[in-house]
Amino acid sequence: MTSYVKYNSMTEGEEFLDPPPSFQVSKEVVKKYLQSTQDVTVQLKQTTEVGECLAPPMLAAVYVIDALRTRVGPPGGIHGKQQFKFHRPAYIGETLYTSAQVLKLYEKKGRHYVEMATQTTNQQGELITTGMITRIWGQEP
Amino acid sequence: MRELQSYQGIRVGDELPELSQTVDQAMIDAYADASGDINPLHIDPEFAKTTFFGGTIAHGLLTLAFVSRVLSQWNWQGWAYGGELDVVFLGPVRPGDEVRVSGALELIEQRADGVYARCSLVCHCGGKAVVKGFAVSKL
Repeated sequence: MTSYVKYNSMTEGEEFLDPPPSFQVSKEVVKKYLQSTQDVTVQLKQTTEVGECLAPPMLAAVYVIDALRTRVGPPGGIHGKQQFKFHRPAYIGETLYTSAQVLKLYEKKGRHYVEMATQTTNQQGELITTGMITRIWGQEP
Repeated sequence: MRELQSYQGIRVGDELPELSQTVDQAMIDAYADASGDINPLHIDPEFAKTTFFGGTIAHGLLTLAFVSRVLSQWNWQGWAYGGELDVVFLGPVRPGDEVRVSGALELIEQRADGVYARCSLVCHCGGKAVVKGFAVSKL
């Protein structure tokens, strides 16, 4: 079983992705995402004026979750809330870096909640996505 | 910031294009593979039976992919370049469910850098809301 992070081991304000992990926006990653979500948005099949191919805004769900993999709770945890701001779409071929911080830790109705803020930039430091995620932590045995 | 009732033919109260999408276990598995999110709650029926949900459920972010499809279709430019999403997950989407995404413009506002629309959003499975929130898109 994959190792997981215990709720009590986290602290508010902790920046836990240092250095921020990288994520390659490849053609294959985008193709798999579009197929699995049945997204046929026309603009994603075109290239920009300078020949770049765009990734869907919600690919953020892939690279942000990938970055947060070092802060995964026990199996059974779920998403409570999600905020994203899409500054611009990522291009195929870009390398993205996501930094993250634990914002808030709290308990409600006997369950643990973890709020995290994320910021994703490309290899040149251009802002791609910012977000906030609230996870309901899985029950620890 | 100034509120407007309409902007270039778009009015407060206008509805977003509706989307219905059936979710099955194959789609959930494909999304797990594409996203790398292999939480057994989504893909392992035996494990999922032991949880509060009693069976597998779709990834919350898969449901948000349907929301993004709606907003991309309605206003690609404003969604992909500066769009904002803020939602709460209210209930699970299970294999076999049909997710219906709907929304309506509730506010048009003039900001310093342009005109923005705020849209209410809701995803239903049957008669039950499973995701609720809003999106902001530049017009």
